[in-house]
Amino acid sequence: MATTFVAGLLDATIRAGTPLLLAALGELIAERSGVLNLGVEGMMLVGALSGFATTVVTGNPYLGFLVGTLGGAAMGLIHAFLCVTLKSDQVISGVMLTLLGTGLTTYFGQAWVSAQIDGFQKVAIPVIGPELRSLPVIGEAFFANTPIDYLAMVLVPVVWYFLFRTNLGLEITAVGEDPETADTMGVPVFRLRYLCVLLGGAFAGAAGAHLSLAYSKLWVTGMVAGRGWIAIALVIFANWRPVRALLGAYFFGGLDALALRSQGLDIAVGAGFPLAETVNGVLGFITHPQIIGMFPYVATILVLVYITQEALEQRIGAPSALLSAYSRELD
Amino acid sequence: MNLDVDLRAREDVPAWLAYGTPIFTVVAALLVGGVALVALGVDPLAAYEHMFVNTATTEFGIVQTLIRSVPLVLAGLAVYVPLKAGLWNIGAQGQLYMGAVAGTWIGVNVGLPLPVLIPLLLVGAGVLGAVWGGIPGYLRAKYGVNEIIVTLMMSFVGVQLTSYLVRGPMRGGEGNFPVSALLPSEATLPTIFGSLHAGIFVAALGAIAIYLLFDRLRLGYEITYVGANPDAAEQSGMNTFRIYVFVLALGGVLAGLAGAIEIAGVQGRLRPDFSPGYGFTAIPIALLGRNGVPQVTLAGVFFALLEVGGSSMEIAFNVPAALIDVIQALIILFLITAEFFKRYRVSIEIQRGQRAGQAAEEGA
Repeated sequence: MATTFVAGLLDATIRAGTPLLLAALGELIAERSGVLNLGVEGMMLVGALSGFATTVVTGNPYLGFLVGTLGGAAMGLIHAFLCVTLKSDQVISGVMLTLLGTGLTTYFGQAWVSAQIDGFQKVAIPVIGPELRSLPVIGEAFFANTPIDYLAMVLVPVVWYFLFRTNLGLEITAVGEDPETADTMGVPVFRLRYLCVLLGGAFAGAAGAHLSLAYSKLWVTGMVAGRGWIAIALVIFANWRPVRALLGAYFFGGLDALALRSQGLDIAVGAGFPLAETVNGVLGFITHPQIIGMFPYVATILVLVYITQEALEQRIGAPSALLSAYSRELD
Repeated sequence: MNLDVDLRAREDVPAWLAYGTPIFTVVAALLVGGVALVALGVDPLAAYEHMFVNTATTEFGIVQTLIRSVPLVLAGLAVYVPLKAGLWNIGAQGQLYMGAVAGTWIGVNVGLPLPVLIPLLLVGAGVLGAVWGGIPGYLRAKYGVNEIIVTLMMSFVGVQLTSYLVRGPMRGGEGNFPVSALLPSEATLPTIFGSLHAGIFVAALGAIAIYLLFDRLRLGYEITYVGANPDAAEQSGMNTFRIYVFVLALGGVLAGLAGAIEIAGVQGRLRPDFSPGYGFTAIPIALLGRNGVPQVTLAGVFFALLEVGGSSMEIAFNVPAALIDVIQALIILFLITAEFFKRYRVSIEIQRGQRAGQAAEEGA
């Protein structure tokens, strides 16, 4: 009984974690170049709807996933143009892109609400897949997933390598820390910021496409349901590090999965336990779905307060040039 | 071919650009919205005529617009005040929810006659709103924690908390719905004209008070000064700590009032989704009106008109009212694009032929 519960929870955790992971990886890349993208929620919605509509029309989820990714990238392009070229306020641009994405997908999405697709199916890893899949508890969760879930896992080391072991990645970090010096050293600040914001949009679009093509296999108005904001929180929670983003995504995804299941969960201590009534009251409170739902936001505030302490900020804080537009000889 | 784009900071903005920008942005957004209408096979002129003329010339439309503008103006000011000090309050939504929670709790649980209960309910809403806005303000002032993220995160915490409360401790009414008990008549805002409730006076008084704060009081001047140059303000003896906490707490008060008024004037009971994103719509309102309190108020009424007109267009033409969200977002996106041309003179020089290409290569 308990094993079934844990296995089910783990399986749901991976599926709920994938969109958070994809969106957070994209946001992480954009923020490392110094551009905060508050438009993730809108970009995910655009990715979800464009991917879904493409899949309905063509029947091919891979094509749908590609179109969803490109849809997110197109939104990212708007953000890059406004924040990098026009040097607009990143907060305004991002919030407005979320509003725009929500509005556009609600407006054009109505036609697709009752459409049905087959979407992505669970597949096992070739050769050794079937054996791994039959492992107890973790088998179904880790080795029977859709291609997108595997893609998200594979992207973590790829993004890590890209950011920390390639020249381009180090240049991106330089741009995010001190664009002026980077520019003096010949690093193409504007081009790199464009690249990173575009990648951020593409990842968000992919995350949205995962939701509509692999997670729920439906289009529902506003179906991203705040996951874009959680992804933004996650980047801070993970201190702008890809591997921590992976752990954080599955942790927050697990909370999401737990919130859905916590009502059937009857955690209580026996009457003989000291202060049984109080303890049960507290347990009931912290396992309430809405209280679990608060956790990512509260945790992010605490992490942000903690890492803003000056000594720590040097080592693990936000990119120094986050939120500031770069211009060469103006002003 | 070689494109040479040259940007120069403008020293002063020409009058046509300064006054034309808001009009240009609204027209451009409506044009793009028109394309979206055509895409769904609707005649945009007929739809816009219905949306604006039917709303602005009928008693029903005007009353609905005024009712809608109460939370929008107050929430818009909740973003505007911190913005004057250079801080972003993008969590007005959560402050609004906490105001609604406090107002509902007092309205349901405190038995007092209307002239005492309504002010008490509003004060309670203002206080809880101030706490919700003040925490990010304090964290920013004391530790330099980014207020953008904290206001945003606090906002989601507030919405989740409300959702918990109406399912748990504050659940009331019959049936299994996650709603609070109905407010008694002593806690319901009296109506003054049709369904227009007295909350409009609170919004008007709020706007006047904020106007006077910036126009008459030393504190308002200090806020503006801190917003323009925090370091210089600190050096000239101003207490930026106090200012940062104050502006975000005041923003919380205004948003909290908006939430309580929405419950006591329109909804009658607390629901987990009573606000259709007022706290987020507040951001474009504050931006559109960022030159002053009268402008924020106008922007709030204009957005209310758009939303009321949008719902009536939805019924008449069977197109989703979400078009209004698109138009609102586009107005701001075009506005910040136009901002750029206000700040910089752009001259583009196009050189053609071999020599330009060679020059570019030599330059690289």
